[in-house]
Amino acid sequence: MSVQDKSDQQPVKHRHRTEGPQKHVVVFIFSIILTLIAFAAVKAGGVNTSFTIILLVVMAILQVFVQLGYWMHMKDKGHLMPILFMAFGFFVAFTCIIMALYWVWW
Amino acid sequence: MTTSHAEPVSGQLPHEPEKATLEGRNKLIGFWLFLGGETVLFGTLFATFLALRGQTNEGPSANELFHLPLVAAATFILLVSSLTSVFAIQAMHRGNRNALALWLGITVVLGLGFLGIEIYEFYEYVVHKEFGMTTSAFSSAFYTLVGFHGAHVAFGILWIGLIIGQLFRKGLTVVTAPKVYVSAMYWHFIDVVWVFIFTVVYLLGKVG
Repeated sequence: MSVQDKSDQQPVKHRHRTEGPQKHVVVFIFSIILTLIAFAAVKAGGVNTSFTIILLVVMAILQVFVQLGYWMHMKDKGHLMPILFMAFGFFVAFTCIIMALYWVWW
Repeated sequence: MTTSHAEPVSGQLPHEPEKATLEGRNKLIGFWLFLGGETVLFGTLFATFLALRGQTNEGPSANELFHLPLVAAATFILLVSSLTSVFAIQAMHRGNRNALALWLGITVVLGLGFLGIEIYEFYEYVVHKEFGMTTSAFSSAFYTLVGFHGAHVAFGILWIGLIIGQLFRKGLTVVTAPKVYVSAMYWHFIDVVWVFIFTVVYLLGKVG
């Protein structure tokens, strides 16, 4: 390996191991289960509208957290800037949504 | 064959080729900034939809319109396509160009399936349910939000399709690897947006 090659690479402290598919298949099954719960809650209906709405929103947020963390690797090291960018994006987005829900038809 | 700067000197691909060069790492950071901006964009569209979803102007309401089995099928297809793009990245980390291209190809085909369902759905609404873009404030907000997501899927299909072509022309190098990685992140983001769409638009539309 030449000097040029080394300087172009990120310092790697530990020997790199290629990750297997198992973890991602687990995330996939988890996402499917969350989706099924959401659809089933709407299909069953009748229980309590506000309970169903809260359940749907919780299922969606859980699924998004898992997918951002594992599939988009936000839980991995060295993701401070991505977390800042996305957190600020979600902050502005939720501000808009709160505004639309509670102020538009004041 | 000429050697370019794109190929590592040893002739072997680094373990994580998307992060092997400064340019590649900058590309990833820049793409996250873009995704933060996309979050804001979709946030404003969701806000508009939530504010207007009850304003049906005597046209069809969400409850009359939506057919959940179709939405469930679209959701499942997009979720599977997100998993296949994870497998594509894992094939890239093994340095297997052909497996990478195959998994990306499967992702593109699933994306086309999703888009087909959405086009069929919109066609049904416009032609058979008299639910057009200008029918009501609800219909305008619905087509803008869901259509914008569909346009993102269409762009992703085109983009990943072109990257597959480039993988065969230029091979898997430290230049092409960040492009693959970034397009896979885009595809996951589209899936994340769809999670909110099927929840907020379709399921909440059925609940009331």
